[in-house]
Amino acid sequence: MVATKSITLPARQAFLIAYSTGILWLRRNPSSLVFTAISPFSLLFVLFVISNGQYVQFAVAGSLVMALVGYGLALGQDISFYKTEYKIQDVFVASPVSPLTYMMGLALSELMFGLPALTALAALVVYFGASLFNIPLLVATILLLWSSMSAMGFFLSSHMLHMRNATQVISFVNVILAVLPPVFYPIANLPEQLQYLSYAVPTTHASLMLQHSMGLPVPAGWSLEFGYAVQIAYLVGFVTLAKTRAIWRET
Amino acid sequence: MLAIDADSLTKVYKGSSRAALNNVSIKVDSAKIFTLLGRNGAGKTTFVRMAATQLLPTSGSISVLGYDAVRQAKQVRQLISVVPQEGRPLRALTPWDHVYNWLQIRGEDKKQAREKTEAVLQKLELSEVRDRPAMNLSGGMKQKILVAMALAVDAQLLFLDEPTIGLDPVSRRQVWSAVKDWKAKGGSILLTTHYMDEAEMLSDYIAIIDRGSVVAEGTVRDLRKVIPQNTRIDVARDGLDIETLQSFGSVVDTGAGTLRVFTFESSIRELSELAIRRNLPFTVSPVTLDDVFVYLVGNIESNGGWSQRSQ
Ligand SMILES: Nc1ncnc2c1ncn2[C@@H]1O[C@H](COP(=O)(O)OP(=O)(O)O)[C@@H](O)[C@H]1O
Ligand SMILES: [Mg+2]
Repeated sequence: MVATKSITLPARQAFLIAYSTGILWLRRNPSSLVFTAISPFSLLFVLFVISNGQYVQFAVAGSLVMALVGYGLALGQDISFYKTEYKIQDVFVASPVSPLTYMMGLALSELMFGLPALTALAALVVYFGASLFNIPLLVATILLLWSSMSAMGFFLSSHMLHMRNATQVISFVNVILAVLPPVFYPIANLPEQLQYLSYAVPTTHASLMLQHSMGLPVPAGWSLEFGYAVQIAYLVGFVTLAKTRAIWRET
Repeated sequence: MLAIDADSLTKVYKGSSRAALNNVSIKVDSAKIFTLLGRNGAGKTTFVRMAATQLLPTSGSISVLGYDAVRQAKQVRQLISVVPQEGRPLRALTPWDHVYNWLQIRGEDKKQAREKTEAVLQKLELSEVRDRPAMNLSGGMKQKILVAMALAVDAQLLFLDEPTIGLDPVSRRQVWSAVKDWKAKGGSILLTTHYMDEAEMLSDYIAIIDRGSVVAEGTVRDLRKVIPQNTRIDVARDGLDIETLQSFGSVVDTGAGTLRVFTFESSIRELSELAIRRNLPFTVSPVTLDDVFVYLVGNIESNGGWSQRSQ
C-alpha cells in the first residue's frame, strides 16, 4: 500500500499542478494560447520565404527544437514568478510536495501551453518526409528534449532569482542552445572543429534526429544511438542538478 | 510535546553583516496560539520561514512537532500548513480552484476535498465568489483565498505570517474565528502580526520581538505587567507641565498634543479633578498591549508618534 502510494501520489500531485496552472488557466484565458501557439512559427516562416521553400525541413526541425528549448526556459521564468511574485512556492516548499514533483507539474503545464504548436510542428515533420514508422522516434525526441530543458529551466530559475539580468541569461541560453548550434542548418556547413564542438550540445542531436526522421542525410560519424546517448546524458545531468543543486529551501 | 522548540536560533542572510534573528529561543506549546509580535523588519518572517522548513538557519537548533526542522524537513512538511506573508493567488484561478486542488495535492480524495472546500469557503465568506477568477476579487478576498488554502488542510501546526494584512474589519474577524476553530480542534498555531488587537484577541502566549531578539514574552496579562502601573490617563497638554503629572507616575508625550500618564487606579480621581479644574479633555483606560509594545520597542509612526519616554 505504502509503496504504491509513494509512486502514485507524486504523479497525481504533478498532474494536479499541471491541471491548475495549465488546463484551468487556459480554459479561463484561452487567448493566451494564441501567442504561445504562434511564436514558434515565426522563424519557420522567414526561413521558408528566404529559401523559397528549399530549407523547409531544416526550418521545421529547428523550430521544433527551439520551441522545446523555449518551454524549458519559460518554465524557469514561471518558477521565478511563482516564487517571488506569488510566494506560492513557499506554500509548496512547506508541504509534502517534492521539488521534482513541483517541477514536473509545471513542466507538464508548459507542455500543455505548447501542445498546439508542438502538434503542428510534429505534423509538419511527418508531412515533410517522416514515415509513420518514425513517429516513435519523433515522440521520443520531443519528450527527451522537453524533460531535459525543463530540468535545466528549473535549475537555472532557482539561481536567477536575485539576478537583475535574468532576461539576458535566458536569451543567452537560447542562443547557445537553439541559434548557434546546427539546429536550423546542416551540421556539414560548419568547419570540422566546430562540428565536434556542436556534438557536445544536446539540441544538435535533437535536430539531427528530426532531420534523420525526415529522411535528410546525416553525417557519417553520427548515429541515432549517439544522439540518444548524449541527450540521455544531459537529461540525467540536468535532473541531477535540479534535484541536488536547485534551491528549494533557501539558505 | 512542544509544537516548536527553537534554541539559540540565529539567521544571518547571505551578504548581510547583521543577524536578522539573533540567538532566539522560543517554545511553542501545542494546541495553543503563539504570537510573534514585532515591527516590520523585526525578524518575524525569518523565524516563521525557518520553522516552516523554507529557510535554513545559520546556527542554533529548531525542532517542529518533535522533528528536527533542518534534517527531518520531510517529516515536518507532512504536518504543517502555511500562509506566507504577502502571498498572492494565481490570477486566473478561482477561490474554489485554489482550495479544492490544493487539498487534492495534499492527498485528500475528491469527496473529502469537496466537503472541506465548501466548509472553509463558507467560513471565510468566499462562497459567493467561489467561481470568480482571483484577478477580479478585492485584495482582502485574495488574501482570504490563501488563508482558506492553509486552514482547509488537515495539519497539526499552522503558520500564519501577517494573515490579516489588507483585510477589512469584518473579514479579519472571520479569519480570527476560523483560527480559533483550528485551535479548538487541537491544532497549534504560530501567528505573526503587528496588530495589537489581533495579538490581544487571539494569543495564548506572545513573544515581542525587536531587531532580531525577543524583548519580552508571556501571556497578555503577564505582558501588561511590564508597565508597573495599570491605568493610563491621556490628558491634553495645554498649560500642563510634565513635572506636575510626573508626581502621579510615568509620563510620555504622545506627540499629538496629549500627555499620557501611566498610573494607578488610586490616582484617577485626583488627576481627573485636576483636568476638570483646568477644563482639559482627558480619557482614562487600562494599560493595553499597545502601551507595553511601545514601552518596550519604542517609536512607531502608525501608533501616534511617541516622541519621548520618561521613567
Ligand atoms: N532574503 C533576505 N536577504 C537579506 N536580508 C533579509 C532577507 N529577508 C529579510 N531580511 C532582513 O532581515 C530582517 C528581518 O526581516 P523579516 O524577518 O522579514 O522581518 P519581519 O517579518 O518581522 O518584518 C530585516 O532587516 C530584513 O531586511
Ligand atoms: Mg514579515
